[in-house]
Amino acid sequence: MKYELKQTIFYLDNVSAGYNGKAILKNINLEEKDIVREGFAATGQIIAFVGRSGRGKSTLFKSLTGLAKPLSGKVLITKFDKENPEAAKEVGEGDVGFVDQKYTLFRHKTVYDIMEYALKRSPASKEEKKQIIVDQLTKWGLIEHKDKYPCELSGGQRQRTAIIEQLLTSKHFMVFDEPFSGLDVGNIESVKDAFNLILAADELNTIVFSTHDLKLAAEISDVIYIIGHPEGTTEYSTIVNKYDLKELGLAWTKFGVGHLDLIEKIKIDLLKS
Amino acid sequence: MLNTLKPFEQIKGSSELAIRLGWLISLVLFWIATSFTGVHLFPTPIQVIDGFNTLWSEGLVVHIASSLSLCAQAVIYSVVISLVFCYLSPIPLLRPIATTLSKFRFLPLAGIAFYLSIMINNARTLQVWVLVVFMSTFFITSILAVIKDIAEEEFDHARTLGCTRWEMLWEVVVRGRFDYVIESIRQNLAIVWMMLISVESILAAAGGLGFLIKNSDRLGNQGRVIALQIIILFIGILLDFGLTKLRKALFRFSKI
Repeated sequence: MKYELKQTIFYLDNVSAGYNGKAILKNINLEEKDIVREGFAATGQIIAFVGRSGRGKSTLFKSLTGLAKPLSGKVLITKFDKENPEAAKEVGEGDVGFVDQKYTLFRHKTVYDIMEYALKRSPASKEEKKQIIVDQLTKWGLIEHKDKYPCELSGGQRQRTAIIEQLLTSKHFMVFDEPFSGLDVGNIESVKDAFNLILAADELNTIVFSTHDLKLAAEISDVIYIIGHPEGTTEYSTIVNKYDLKELGLAWTKFGVGHLDLIEKIKIDLLKS
Repeated sequence: MLNTLKPFEQIKGSSELAIRLGWLISLVLFWIATSFTGVHLFPTPIQVIDGFNTLWSEGLVVHIASSLSLCAQAVIYSVVISLVFCYLSPIPLLRPIATTLSKFRFLPLAGIAFYLSIMINNARTLQVWVLVVFMSTFFITSILAVIKDIAEEEFDHARTLGCTRWEMLWEVVVRGRFDYVIESIRQNLAIVWMMLISVESILAAAGGLGFLIKNSDRLGNQGRVIALQIIILFIGILLDFGLTKLRKALFRFSKI
């Protein structure tokens, strides 16, 4: 399928990250660009990170979302400025949406209040905000649950609430830490549908997620990064391999033999790292 | 029937109620039966009923109101003071104040009352402040534990929404855990209610259940003592029940 790469969406320049001055991740360099496909109004980007447990995926995500400052290097994201598409800035708290494994929400706010709070920094008027919230809740099938608290929602409703909340705050860029972990088949489909909705909504929308499910990663991603220990050390992790599914002709296609071959390669990478 | 003797066996609500009633009736019957024997440790039911009657004629309701009013004042002051210290505890410079105050719960009441009596002249005010100081140490301990138990994800979630540190404190700690404040009041109220006897003996003129029980004990009127114990227990249980209902009514999201 014909595609073009446009402006840089995010860029990690020699990032090291960790806790209490000890680097868990080192030498992280990557750049992801806006993908434009012929004949499609909008093609968002979807990037997977896979790696064995304890290899620092969550630590990387904290740096990527501005929740933790890298020990060294820079995390840059686009300013989403249409006049100047190449304008970038260092990521800060609130720039990137982050949905954790538990789909954390404010426990004391109803679904509607959660959305209203997510829009608190928006310059829109009260009426406009109300319209945005009603539109989003209707689109995601949550309008009849708008007065419920998170503890009164089902797992799927909670996921969607957490996703819309972050979408309203961060606009285009969202990071999901193991969004498929512990979900039943119905909820996995519901998260996949949510991803498709986000990606089809805007050209610049970008999803970054981590998973242990290699089949899912191969099925829905444009790019897969493997995080693991580099050869000869277990002291730190880095990106040990990258598979660009667009170049491999596997992106936006039905799951097939090519994907199965890719999964085998990833398995070998994971076992080595 | 045999199921009720198996460990971890699930039983119906009606069966549970029947078991509770069975135990209560057995206890009352045992009490009545033992009161007919020559030597008995407890006052007889007749003595206790007499105790109720004399207490009623001496203005029991006024004494209950006095105790409840003392308790309410102490709880309100204590909650306000404790919450200020607890809500400021996430500020590194102020954190040691709350944690140190929490440790003061190991101080005996006598020590605290001595210093307060030097500072406060009015006996009623002294009663209130002895309870406030005593309750605050336990209350601060409970609320600090609630704050410590908040998952890091909740703070991270607020940060991803662009909240400032003060907004995080307001949304996650203050508003997000306000139901726990009522729950902590419920748990610590039992301590205050228990302390009434000692504290109300400071000022006999103000009356109260604590004063009545101390007075009855001094006069050796065990019927009145047990009658008062029953009243104190029932009011305590009612307060406990009322606070749980209040929490659930005010905070629909509260599933503690």
